[in-house]
Amino acid sequence: MRPFEAFASRFGGKIVFNPEFIVEKNQRYYLLSPRLKRMHGNFYYAGLYLGKSKKGVFFPSFNLLDMLVDVAANKVVVDRKAAWLFICSRDVFGKGLVKILGSKRNGDATLVLNEFGECLGFGKITGDLGGSEEKVAVKNVLDVGDFLRRETKF
Amino acid sequence: MPPKQFFIDRYSKLGWTFTEVNLRQAIRINQTNAKGKNLPERLRSLGVELEKVPFLPAGYWVENSKVSVGATAEYLLGMYSIQEAAAQIPATLFTALSGKMVLDACAAPGGKTIQLADLMENSGVITALDTSKPRLGVMANHLERCHVSNTIVYNIDARQAGMLHRKFDRVLLDVPCSGNFSCDKEWFSRRTLADIERNAKAQRAILAEAAGCLASGGEIVYSTCSLEPEEDELNMDWAVKNLQLQIQKIDCLGEDGLTEVFGRKLEGQVAFSKRIWPGETQGFFVCKLKKEAEL
Repeated sequence: MRPFEAFASRFGGKIVFNPEFIVEKNQRYYLLSPRLKRMHGNFYYAGLYLGKSKKGVFFPSFNLLDMLVDVAANKVVVDRKAAWLFICSRDVFGKGLVKILGSKRNGDATLVLNEFGECLGFGKITGDLGGSEEKVAVKNVLDVGDFLRRETKF
Repeated sequence: MPPKQFFIDRYSKLGWTFTEVNLRQAIRINQTNAKGKNLPERLRSLGVELEKVPFLPAGYWVENSKVSVGATAEYLLGMYSIQEAAAQIPATLFTALSGKMVLDACAAPGGKTIQLADLMENSGVITALDTSKPRLGVMANHLERCHVSNTIVYNIDARQAGMLHRKFDRVLLDVPCSGNFSCDKEWFSRRTLADIERNAKAQRAILAEAAGCLASGGEIVYSTCSLEPEEDELNMDWAVKNLQLQIQKIDCLGEDGLTEVFGRKLEGQVAFSKRIWPGETQGFFVCKLKKEAEL
């Protein structure tokens, strides 16, 4: 199982790509269309970026997280305030949860969606998912605010 | 003569009276990502007041905002991009982009690449080139944010596009240029005619390379944010005379291109290009060229 497929399985879902159209470059994975595949060469970026492996850890792209929305079992929907705090890299508290789908098990990965069902990132379920409103329910691992935080690195 | 006065006199000779400009922030809705999401209303609910830009299909002025438009969830989810209004024009001038082989020769940081991908609904292929690694990093970030899937990016100089051995149906040349005072407060003290000549020469080299990669019947859209005719009408006149390209009529904001520059008469078809003096938008120049189909 390739890193992005293994990553998807952590959410209780399965995602399958045609291996013919996956290209790895510098441990970064890209999904290419047949036309892009024919011309890829020594590119800097191509097609849909799926994520990168670094020292054995897989870092997903937001493209991959977006694809997971339809196939992942583990998802939480959060209210507007919690959504805003989440993209500011904060954790989700119990009181911000609107809906819980799939696992409630401590340590499992779950996607974090806003009230429109759009994926804001993912986190790790803590012991209090569905429990106390005043405790952290999902610990933030990655959120879309990362696009802004990355810009300081360029 | 102080440099500012020197340029103001030049603009006066070209028929424009200098005025200071305060640019308005603009956004462009990425139609592919925002489909069915009623984005203007969502932004209004966040305290972002928008006004439709009348000359752009997906452009809005940001009239007022209680939040930073570059930090909303909607922005981070790729539903819109922050893009100056005049800069939104070039990509809209191509005919029939869907499924085409497109070259964006000076692409980073990628605002127009993302606009092209949106107009193409991620069909076809965009080959995007740029020489600056840091700018390519920013571009990759934006491509991911906007879920662009039809683009391949190379760290290659536009003047070496031929090494890819591809023929393109559409080529966007938003070439590196001298810029203009409306987006750079220090512009007048930074720029000299020598800079402008140097940039104009590099732009001609890019034009020549692009013309060589253009498929028969293909289109080039050339744009700069320079007000200097050396980088604009004079380069278009040169392209017509040297690259077997014909200038096409376009319907967009701006005045007709100049056909007489400092006493020099240019090809009549240069008038089909558009010169946008700063005011409603930043200063801008845009021209569409076509390689006639071979019989």
